[in-house]
Amino acid sequence: MTATAHRGRTAAAALTPPSRWRTLLRSHWAMPVVLAVTLLATYLWIRSRQLDDIERRSLNADALMRMLGEHLRLTALTTVVVVTVAVGTGILLTRPALRWIAPAATALANIGQATPAIGLLVLLSIWLGIGSTTALIGLVAYALLPVLQNTIVGLNQVDRKLVEAGRGIGMSPLAVLTRVELPLALPVILAGIRTALVLAVGVATLATFINAGGLGELIVTGIKLQRAPVLVCGAILTAALALLLDWLGGVIADLFRPRGLG
Amino acid sequence: MSDDVMISLDHVSKRYRGQKVPAVENVSMTIHRGEIVVLVGPSGCGKTTTMKMINRLIEPSSGRITLDGADVTSLNPTELRRRIGYVIQQGGLFPHMSVATNIGMVPRMLGWDRRRIDARVDELLDLVGLEPGQFRNRLPQQLSGGQQQRVGVARALAADPPVMLMDEPFGATDPLTREHLQNEFLRLQEKLQKTIVFVTHDFDEAIKMGSRIAVLGERSRIRQFDTPERLLAAPADETVAQFIGAGASLKQLNLRRVGSIAYDEAHLVTSQESPAAVLRHLDESGDWAVLTVDGERRPLRWVGPRDLRPERDTLDGVGIPAPTVEPRATLRDALDAMLTCGCGAAVVVDDAGRYRGVLGIDRLMRAITEMRETERSRDRGVAEASYYRPPMPRTLAAPAQRGGAR
Repeated sequence: MTATAHRGRTAAAALTPPSRWRTLLRSHWAMPVVLAVTLLATYLWIRSRQLDDIERRSLNADALMRMLGEHLRLTALTTVVVVTVAVGTGILLTRPALRWIAPAATALANIGQATPAIGLLVLLSIWLGIGSTTALIGLVAYALLPVLQNTIVGLNQVDRKLVEAGRGIGMSPLAVLTRVELPLALPVILAGIRTALVLAVGVATLATFINAGGLGELIVTGIKLQRAPVLVCGAILTAALALLLDWLGGVIADLFRPRGLG
Repeated sequence: MSDDVMISLDHVSKRYRGQKVPAVENVSMTIHRGEIVVLVGPSGCGKTTTMKMINRLIEPSSGRITLDGADVTSLNPTELRRRIGYVIQQGGLFPHMSVATNIGMVPRMLGWDRRRIDARVDELLDLVGLEPGQFRNRLPQQLSGGQQQRVGVARALAADPPVMLMDEPFGATDPLTREHLQNEFLRLQEKLQKTIVFVTHDFDEAIKMGSRIAVLGERSRIRQFDTPERLLAAPADETVAQFIGAGASLKQLNLRRVGSIAYDEAHLVTSQESPAAVLRHLDESGDWAVLTVDGERRPLRWVGPRDLRPERDTLDGVGIPAPTVEPRATLRDALDAMLTCGCGAAVVVDDAGRYRGVLGIDRLMRAITEMRETERSRDRGVAEASYYRPPMPRTLAAPAQRGGAR
């Protein structure tokens, strides 16, 4: 009697939604704080220094916002293209009719990632010319694999029995995909997207070599002209951006984790 | 006759590419409206494959399967499956959806409006004995195995299909829960009269659930297809006999229902009765115990002379809990109940759990003795002709007959 009452209570607790936000806050508060402190410290450090002409040309609000904007734009576009292409391809490659191609497709995506990023960008620029389109293509080729692979793995790890149960009770193939397979594969797919996002932020620093802008400009300028503040500022901003997006990915993953799993 | 046929398999085979031996070879059978046909056989014999060909989860390589007169391969698979309920082990519930969403899935696909779906979900939860208010919004992981199984049955019934396929539906539950689910399902079936194909490897379950049982061998070959009674009385060959196992008469415990035996009566008292009065009754009547019941005449406990303490005022909490069985439980279930409590009597109750009578171990033993004697005399008679009787003509599946009447 007491056992059933107890079970009833825990079940009710698990069903009340507000606890979700509280857990979210509890497990994700640290990263924004760390980032804010780091950025503030960097800002104060730069302010405390006497900047020369060269440094001032890079380290001013207008230039920083432009580079940050370019970087974000490149990253966002990459992510959108990668998600569309890789998730779509992943879905196709897990359909029974096309399953046999999957190994070949993953191998191909592997080439994209195994090639050193800078080599990939330079090769592409010889072929397609320099500029942001070329950078975008390079980044997409580079970030495709984790999403493609995780989509395939995520869909394949969905219990075959559930897929068959879905078909067995009369759900259309599309309904089985959208209501059973994708929701249950979502955590794994999101993890892949998160990895791709962080990769894209990092590799986007190389875009400056083919004249596509971004925060890489600061780093390259800092190295070439031996200006430590510029170099450090570029590195910290890139790292902070990568960490911030990774954090955001984590929050989203927790928010969209299907109920009823573990 | 042909009007009566719901499902027919006509020389159906399934060959997988790259495998020499077919998984299912040349199976023919007809299944009538409203009966439960159990496919039973050792694991890997192709019984599940055979069943899945009916709703085209697996496509037959050759042969013909008809559902209500129509060739299943001529129908859109998804449409076809919406007319066939499908229950698998542990219910196969979608873990990320609430009980209500799981059950309402097919009605939603059929385009029912929200109100109608909600009403249907509640109706079905009631039907399988789960309180809608309490269970509607739960997730499958918040249910016990037996409850998940019930939701699985409810989901299969959602669009009221005339046919149900059940693949070891009660396989993953503990024996007590399984017995309960089986009885409940038989009660449901009395009401619903669905045509059911039921797959199991448990012969006792087959005997209990089946109107007819198909004992399958390798490649799903039908060794015998007959009613449980005749299967036990006259196994078609040695393999079937072996599968039935030793002591077919004891297997009949799975076949005979509690309701088929006359009950005894117990002396009923409420918990408020005084121990002294009970003692007096026991002395006068010579009964071994009295049964305490609640206000609704639901049995509580057996109270014998040794449980009684004259210094107490009432019988509250005195005695051993009385095991109960429903009339549609098998004698085996009743025997299990008696052995569990160690009290040699099971209380027979109706659907609402109210007292109807008592089944004593003596009557049960007498029924067993009778069954064994019938078997022995039959075996003697059979042994003179040939040990095994040939299967009855009806048991061999007739080729599909579909008259012009349809």
